[in-house]
Amino acid sequence: MRRALLLAVLTLFTAFAAGPFLWVATMSVRTTTEISLDHYAWPEKWHWEKFPAAWFNSAYNVYFENSLLVVLGAVAVLTVVGAMAAHCFARYRFRANRLLYFVIFSAIIFPPQITIISLFQILVQYQLYNSLIGLTLVYIAVQLPLTVYILESFFARIPSDLFDAARIDGYSEWQIFWKVSLPIAAPALATTVILNTILLWNEFLYAVVLITDEAKRTLPLGIQRFMGDQLEDVGMIATGLMIAIVPVVLIYAFFSEKLIQGMTAGAVK
Amino acid sequence: MIRSSVDRQPWGAILAFLLPAFTVYTAFTAYPVLRTFWNSFHKVLPRSEEFVGAENYAALAQDELFWRAVRNTFTWACVSPLAEVGIGLVLAMALYARVPGMRFFRIAWFTPVLMSYVVVGIIWVWIYNYDWGAANALLRALGLGALVQAWIGDPKLALPSLIFITTWMWSGFNMVVLLAALHSLPSEVVEAAELDNCGWGAKLWYVIVPLIKPTLLNLLVLSFIGKMKIFDLVWITTKGGPLWSTETVSTYVYKRAFEWTSFDLGYPSTIAAVWFVIVLSAVLTLTWLFRTRERLEY
Repeated sequence: MRRALLLAVLTLFTAFAAGPFLWVATMSVRTTTEISLDHYAWPEKWHWEKFPAAWFNSAYNVYFENSLLVVLGAVAVLTVVGAMAAHCFARYRFRANRLLYFVIFSAIIFPPQITIISLFQILVQYQLYNSLIGLTLVYIAVQLPLTVYILESFFARIPSDLFDAARIDGYSEWQIFWKVSLPIAAPALATTVILNTILLWNEFLYAVVLITDEAKRTLPLGIQRFMGDQLEDVGMIATGLMIAIVPVVLIYAFFSEKLIQGMTAGAVK
Repeated sequence: MIRSSVDRQPWGAILAFLLPAFTVYTAFTAYPVLRTFWNSFHKVLPRSEEFVGAENYAALAQDELFWRAVRNTFTWACVSPLAEVGIGLVLAMALYARVPGMRFFRIAWFTPVLMSYVVVGIIWVWIYNYDWGAANALLRALGLGALVQAWIGDPKLALPSLIFITTWMWSGFNMVVLLAALHSLPSEVVEAAELDNCGWGAKLWYVIVPLIKPTLLNLLVLSFIGKMKIFDLVWITTKGGPLWSTETVSTYVYKRAFEWTSFDLGYPSTIAAVWFVIVLSAVLTLTWLFRTRERLEY
């Protein structure tokens, strides 16, 4: 009896958590006319053609491509740069080690406002405003603290005997990093890659400040713009939302464990 | 061999490993922060900069909209952590009792945090829609048509409605983290509490909470920091309206810097600088507070 009650509560909460997405999914394959008749009906006819329509007519292909370029670029650089710093912090016991680590780590709590106005000025100054490269550089800086934090805690657990053995074998410091540290840290690297990809894929504030050019918009900006222009076209907006959601859902479907690990890293002690 | 590797540090390698990270950090974090502080003492127009001393700070002290935004943000940052972590804890406790389909629940509840605030914001604008939104539709279906509201259109309800959205988003996340914490506890402890036949509430409060206290505190601080930064959700749903009832510091800075036609970047920088100091001290106070209390109890 208690069991049944518990299960009922769980099911209810699950519907509450996932219901909104299911609702958007049904609306994404219904036309706005059908939706306005009944907002909560199951799709009678599945209008898949709405996806290519949004993709080509509403420039979602451009937004998608921009997002992809920025996110992949930033994540690639982040992983290498972050891993190098994290390896260094975890491996070498030099003076100022903890101080430098703290300097980078503390940026996690900075409110974005403290940098965003100056970043706007700086990017304008160096002709990186309204450029995907500028946005990519900013994204690298924004996610660096979290990346270093996650990787450092992983690198720190690698036994140092391993490094000493590698050194006796004649490995250089760089080879130790590249051939010993990185392969062992592959699971942690995967976690940061997936986590950064999703966080940057969803990023809005820096993008809205640093990008105004129609052709440079990332997906979140494109969706916001579309929402503003076609306020009444609920069906089409829902299709656009699904285009933005699908990559995240796919990543999640394949790597849910890794992702949960990454998101919860540091919170559990 | 081991000792020599500790004594003689390969400084060249250390420098090479840290250089890229610190170049990025200096150019896109440290320098902008300093520049914002510098801006805050100037009137910064597109082609000219003029030193104004503490004028901006004096103006900020008198700026009612700013203090309104601070109040809203603090309300959000204080209510949310308690709601999210509280709900997360209850759910985690429920799931700890090994429910069938555990994996599925876990994945489903984690989904909202993976969506961007833009997506979530648009969905909830629809849910809160007066005519056909799910919130009002549900009320009508339950025969509570009298309670139908404009939700985010009503200055009194707008902020609570937005807080509800973040609670919806983050409860699942907190639940998953707490579940991980619970599972890392020695199972004898939890089972012993069950054997002692103490009530569910007592078990939660006297046995579980003290054991996972570090995790709980971390989650509270994490949620607090997140809400102090909140921008996207407000921007998509209400833009700070109606009547500034959902204005947060982030949206106010954005408006003053990029929307109002004053073109001055100095004043918004002042807001950012003051807010930076407030957030930092709040987070430091919280961590300090939690740390001392923990030491007292053990």
